[in-house]
Amino acid sequence: MAFTYPWLLWALPLTLLPLLLNRSHSKQYSWVSILPPDPLSSTVGVLLKVLATLSILFILLGLARPHSLEQQVERVGIGAQIGLVLDRSASMDDPFVGDQDGHIGETKSVAAARIITGFLNGRKNDMIGVITFSNSAMYVLPLTENKEAVMSAVQATAGNSLFQTNIGGGLTSAVELFKKVPDSGSRVIILISDGAGRVSDMVQQKLRDWLQRYNIGLYWIVLRKPGGTTIFDPKYTASGYDGHVPSEVLLYQYFQTLRTPFSAYEASDPKSLEAAIADINSKEKKPIKYLEKIPGKDYTNTCYWIAVCMVGFLLGVKYLEISTWRSA
Amino acid sequence: MKYIKEFSYHISWRSRSRRPGRHKSNQRGMGMEFRGHTTLLSYPDPRRIDIRQTIRDPMEQVYVRIFNQKSATPVFVMCDLSGSMQYGTPHSKLTTAAEITRAVAQSATRNADPVGFIGFDDALKDDWVATLSSRPHTMFELADRLEDHLPSEVGTAALLSSASLLPRERSLIFLVSDFHMPLTQLEDALLLMLRHQIVPVILWNSAEYKTLPEFGITSINDPETGERRTLFLRAAYRQRILDTFEARRQAITDLFMKFDMQPFFVENTFDADLLTDYFHQYVVA
Repeated sequence: MAFTYPWLLWALPLTLLPLLLNRSHSKQYSWVSILPPDPLSSTVGVLLKVLATLSILFILLGLARPHSLEQQVERVGIGAQIGLVLDRSASMDDPFVGDQDGHIGETKSVAAARIITGFLNGRKNDMIGVITFSNSAMYVLPLTENKEAVMSAVQATAGNSLFQTNIGGGLTSAVELFKKVPDSGSRVIILISDGAGRVSDMVQQKLRDWLQRYNIGLYWIVLRKPGGTTIFDPKYTASGYDGHVPSEVLLYQYFQTLRTPFSAYEASDPKSLEAAIADINSKEKKPIKYLEKIPGKDYTNTCYWIAVCMVGFLLGVKYLEISTWRSA
Repeated sequence: MKYIKEFSYHISWRSRSRRPGRHKSNQRGMGMEFRGHTTLLSYPDPRRIDIRQTIRDPMEQVYVRIFNQKSATPVFVMCDLSGSMQYGTPHSKLTTAAEITRAVAQSATRNADPVGFIGFDDALKDDWVATLSSRPHTMFELADRLEDHLPSEVGTAALLSSASLLPRERSLIFLVSDFHMPLTQLEDALLLMLRHQIVPVILWNSAEYKTLPEFGITSINDPETGERRTLFLRAAYRQRILDTFEARRQAITDLFMKFDMQPFFVENTFDADLLTDYFHQYVVA
């Protein structure tokens, strides 16, 4: 139990007022001790004082806004700790081309947001964090179970974008997400980008270590320009090839050297993107333990209601009060 | 000045006062009550020579008749000034007490009796004492003050000591109070005043018990002790209060009757005629 305005509790001695002060409008009676003792009357007398005390007490408590502290309950569910790393580079605003089912003109970012939203809707107990990046990483959301927040974060990425693609920055920030969260056994980073940028050797080394240390798998969904280079093109891996190797392929080759699970998908239209996501969805279904936060309950209104009842009761007694008896 | 209704009273004993008045006396003097004969030598008043008795006496002595004069007797009003006396509707008990004081003063003066006032609460105060006087003005003044008096939280502890202010001569005392006091205290005081004839005038108010509200909650305080209590009045409790007051009335009556003093109950307002009736009914002439 805690209070939002604990200093108001200093006013609690006010509750003693009804006990200390007597009612000002009490009537004179010639000889009180001659009246036979009446337990019911005494009870009513005590009750009135208690009621008055309690109504003041609960009004004060209500003013201090009592609430219980948030609690954490460990639950077991099926899901993963997912770090979403979304590309916000300007190229993400380009539409997919060659779409056949009514999504012509849908930009890559919008499509990504839409499909990830669908993906998230299908999952129950994930903890999801969101990082976006363009020329540098933008920390959006820590790992959280609040699906609503994640959805909003994802939907917010579909909009005006910046240039450049700093994948290294995005990924290292994503790893940061997992640092302070206990390992649930299923940790994944989903990287959605089109194209790739260079990742320096130092960052490569750091990433490899971190991904291993925190036991994080990596899914890379490449939103490919139609007709663009494919990372799976065997010609780049063929021995003896010594032409220009695009940055995507370099990155792919680097990812393959990771000591943690890695898979890559290529999506050239929303449909293939959906397929990639569905694949990830089916893979990442392990039981995880997670802590559910139960927010503190606000007791302010309860206090006020109790006070209202007490005051109502007192008003009722006031109505019963004798006004016809004239004395002295 | 407002008309003050008098009542007629008499005493049941022979006054020993030499002061002429209206009451039976054992003092020889110019009265109408024949007491006996004696010789002119021992009572040299030739106006009273009884010729018939003188002729009948073979010893040829001259006889005179002796008569008892009528004498005055002191009358006192002893008034309770305790807190409970400020209670009452339509007017407070003190107002009733003031009316009684005026009536007594007026009647006593008419009977040529000296009259005095003793007011008591927890202490005897000089300003509430009027010594015996044949002139009623002090009494009227006191009555006026009595009407405006607002007692503080005081009881009736000085009733006992007020007995010491009474004269040795047997007096007629109107003891005006609501007798909301412990009966033992009252009994102790009465024991000290047995020399006198006491008329207990008991001031009760119907608002105290008879006209209590039928139902409701109220809180009351005691004007003497400051005690506070919440009352939840309802038929059963109201009846219990009525029974208590009935028992109290019986207890007071019993106590006074033990001392052969018939109590005179005054409820709400004082009627002098009822006091006249009282004397006719209960006081042997």
